[in-house]
Amino acid sequence: MSYTAAKTRKTTLRAPARGGAGGVMTSGVLRVNRSTTTKTRSVYASASRKSFSLAADSKVLLKSSTQAAKHAVQVLDETGKDVAPRPLYQPDPGTAAPKQGKIFTPNDTTGGNVSDFFTTGFLTSNASFGDLFTRSILGSSVFSRSIAESDEIEDASSKRDRFMCITDVRVRKDDVKEPMRKDMLDQVVRLYLTETETLWLLDVPPNFVSVDSEEAETVRERNRAYQELCKNRPGNDKYTDRAMQTLSGAPKTKEVQSERVGMVDAGDGTIARPPINNGSPAFTMALTFITATMATTWDIYDSSCNSVGAGEAAPTPSATKSDLEKVESPRAAEGGGSPASAASHSTTSNTSLLLQNLPPLSERPASASCSTIEMEVTTVPAIDEPNPELILLSDKFKMDLLVMERAVLANIFQPKLAAYRHLPVLKDCWTSVTAADCCPDPDVQQLQLADEVKTESLSPFLECLWTFRCDITAGRNISCMAWNKKNPDLLAVGYGPLDSNDKKPALVCCWSIKNPVWPERILHCQSDVTALDFCASSPSQLAVGMCDGTIAVYDMKSAEATHVSDSSNSPHKHTGPVWELKWINQEKGPSGDDRGETLVSASSDGRITKWSLQKGLECVDLMKLKKTKARGEFSLISRQVPGLSFDFHPSDSSIYLAATEEGNIHKCSCFYSEQFQETYGGHNGPVYKVTWSPFSPDVFLSCSSDWTIQLWRQDLMTPVLGFTSTQSAVHDIMWSPKWPTVFGAVKERRVEIWDLRASILDPTIVNEAKPGVTLTRLLFATQTDCVLVGDSDGGVSVYRLKSLTMDEGAEHVKALQDVIVSTLASQL
Amino acid sequence: MSVEETIKRIQSQKGVQGIIIVNAEVLICNAGIPIKTTLDNSNTVHYAGLIHQLVMKARSTVREIDPQNDLTFLRVRSKKNEIMIAPDKDYFLIVIQNPSE
Repeated sequence: MSYTAAKTRKTTLRAPARGGAGGVMTSGVLRVNRSTTTKTRSVYASASRKSFSLAADSKVLLKSSTQAAKHAVQVLDETGKDVAPRPLYQPDPGTAAPKQGKIFTPNDTTGGNVSDFFTTGFLTSNASFGDLFTRSILGSSVFSRSIAESDEIEDASSKRDRFMCITDVRVRKDDVKEPMRKDMLDQVVRLYLTETETLWLLDVPPNFVSVDSEEAETVRERNRAYQELCKNRPGNDKYTDRAMQTLSGAPKTKEVQSERVGMVDAGDGTIARPPINNGSPAFTMALTFITATMATTWDIYDSSCNSVGAGEAAPTPSATKSDLEKVESPRAAEGGGSPASAASHSTTSNTSLLLQNLPPLSERPASASCSTIEMEVTTVPAIDEPNPELILLSDKFKMDLLVMERAVLANIFQPKLAAYRHLPVLKDCWTSVTAADCCPDPDVQQLQLADEVKTESLSPFLECLWTFRCDITAGRNISCMAWNKKNPDLLAVGYGPLDSNDKKPALVCCWSIKNPVWPERILHCQSDVTALDFCASSPSQLAVGMCDGTIAVYDMKSAEATHVSDSSNSPHKHTGPVWELKWINQEKGPSGDDRGETLVSASSDGRITKWSLQKGLECVDLMKLKKTKARGEFSLISRQVPGLSFDFHPSDSSIYLAATEEGNIHKCSCFYSEQFQETYGGHNGPVYKVTWSPFSPDVFLSCSSDWTIQLWRQDLMTPVLGFTSTQSAVHDIMWSPKWPTVFGAVKERRVEIWDLRASILDPTIVNEAKPGVTLTRLLFATQTDCVLVGDSDGGVSVYRLKSLTMDEGAEHVKALQDVIVSTLASQL
Repeated sequence: MSVEETIKRIQSQKGVQGIIIVNAEVLICNAGIPIKTTLDNSNTVHYAGLIHQLVMKARSTVREIDPQNDLTFLRVRSKKNEIMIAPDKDYFLIVIQNPSE
């Protein structure tokens, strides 16, 4: 403890009064020493330093000389003033008597001449502290001797007295060299004491603050405060001096290795399972406990659901309090009373999956035993670790795969699907799907470049969105397409050969809009498919008509389509290919009690048959298509004409039109199965399709292989309008479900969209097929303005009608009738 | 349609970088064990561990809002790709796709 911590001092120089003998060294008052200029410093610094040793006791030694030091140092500052520091202590020459010194330095050997004495430092910042000396040893103090010679000391001599009393000088005499003689006792012994150089043991330079500076005040304050402190220190109970020493033992290196601490996810309800299951229940328990530290809402819900469901013991949540230790022992588990825990614990050798939940803390009575983990043990039925193979085969996984595949494809096909559904295309970095991926038609790709811009100047065109096509269907001919009545995204496509030379096995695929790459269902049939329809009342049932006359009904709900029934065993089954098949919803059948849906088919054997599905397929002939005019010997062989198409009236389900191979269209009624009501003859070749207009009740359309499409009104025996574009047979036609005046037609090499408001002479949109591919079927999408075209290469292309300008008037049925009326008027 | 074929089909779609099917349980020492994966093992384990935590959090969120609800599908779209996760009690099905490739 040193008072020599840096103290700010004033830079006032205290010019010590000169002693009579000239300047003498002062003892270690740093301040005084340091208050001189650097010149003095250098003087002191040049003093040699000597080591010394101190005894443990605290004696302040001072050396006093009874005479002036021999080495008086004279310090002069610039002005020639003698600024030699004055000694603090100037003992009375008469009183100080050299005494035996207890402390001496090893190298101090001169008998009477104590030249090297050191005083322990006692320091003060200025002479006024002279009475604050203590007897403590200041280990790092500056030591010097003081030789008090001059009688002019800065302060009162009373302090000096005290100073003196401490500073007994002890001089140790060496061994007496000569025996003492009696007369020597009276001798006056002269002792010469000299001063050694000052040894600096600690030199903490003070800070000097000018009196004029801002800090002077604070410095003064601090000094004052410090003086106060020092005044209070001796005798104050607050301060005791104590020596301490920490004994530190010798360090020793030791290697420790602990077992790896198992980490368990906490707070999120994760189930921790032991890596090994050695069958020990305690071990299993110890490792298998859940550390869900939060009772989440769904946790509570789950546990309450499970506890209600498991319900062996009476599930009282408050009764299932159990410590962790209890849980660990299977014995206690039985007594635990938690629902189903007994069962689970008895099979703990197998248990690897436990779902444990913390009960809500609010339910607990104030049994705040936080140290015990209260668990309500509920179990999932104790199953073995789910086999990875089982996972892969589970149904849920298949469903997940399905959804995932659709999600992936949705990403890829997003622009196309969005266009199909009239949704905005997401403009992000992923819309670089090129048209080449989806559209097989190179012509349409050109048009696709401008597809986002709807300009009036752009003529209507078909934009190809994508094609339903996969490996299985490649190379097959599309023979029929049908939408699902309930889910407008599902499409059934029948594949059959274009001609009977093709020997590919028959196929029906159900496609979904959400997956343009792979069909949802694949169904292999016994013979080629020629007609399809989905049932409306049980939407998963699909009726398939085949080339050999068989009609089969399948249920497509499950992954593997199940066969409901077919007509192959029926005695009245068709003998020729079934060309058209439809589910008809009849309010009133001929016998008056038919309600619900029935299946009606038209086939090459000239019958239009109604089938019902009560027990197997039973049929009733609706009509036999007889030849209308005898053709010589043909009439002898067969009087029946193949029926190629039929269509029931949209509003009156007892009237239907039947199209025959000989070119006639017969209007028939379900009530009269013997004769036709009307016959419309206008075609010169087999009529492939006849269809009522969905908007106008009198109008129907027919197409034939004589290159024409005829528009009829049912009261006129001759067609109102005929549409011819190219010299190829028209295979399929369909009215647009959205616009009354629009219909589509498929010729062998092109698809045409006709808009009667725009022109009755030419189709509005014409789309050529790829070379080598013939188009076979056409289907309008019901809710979007898209049209599907099936071709002979096994692909169903989805086109979007673009820039087909339709204004308000187009929606009206009147538009169609206007056309007809005007046409008729012009014909007259 | 077998599961294998479907997985192959998904894998062959445009931009699909990988399919991972992992066990959902988090063992004490490991992350989920991959049942089937088309990525390398270190990546798989990496994805599995991280996605597990994310799915737990998402599921907890959904159920917290309505305990009768449950998470069925999770899509994480980022600048470079999209991660689609179909979580279940026993497994996670993860597909990473970058459709702009």
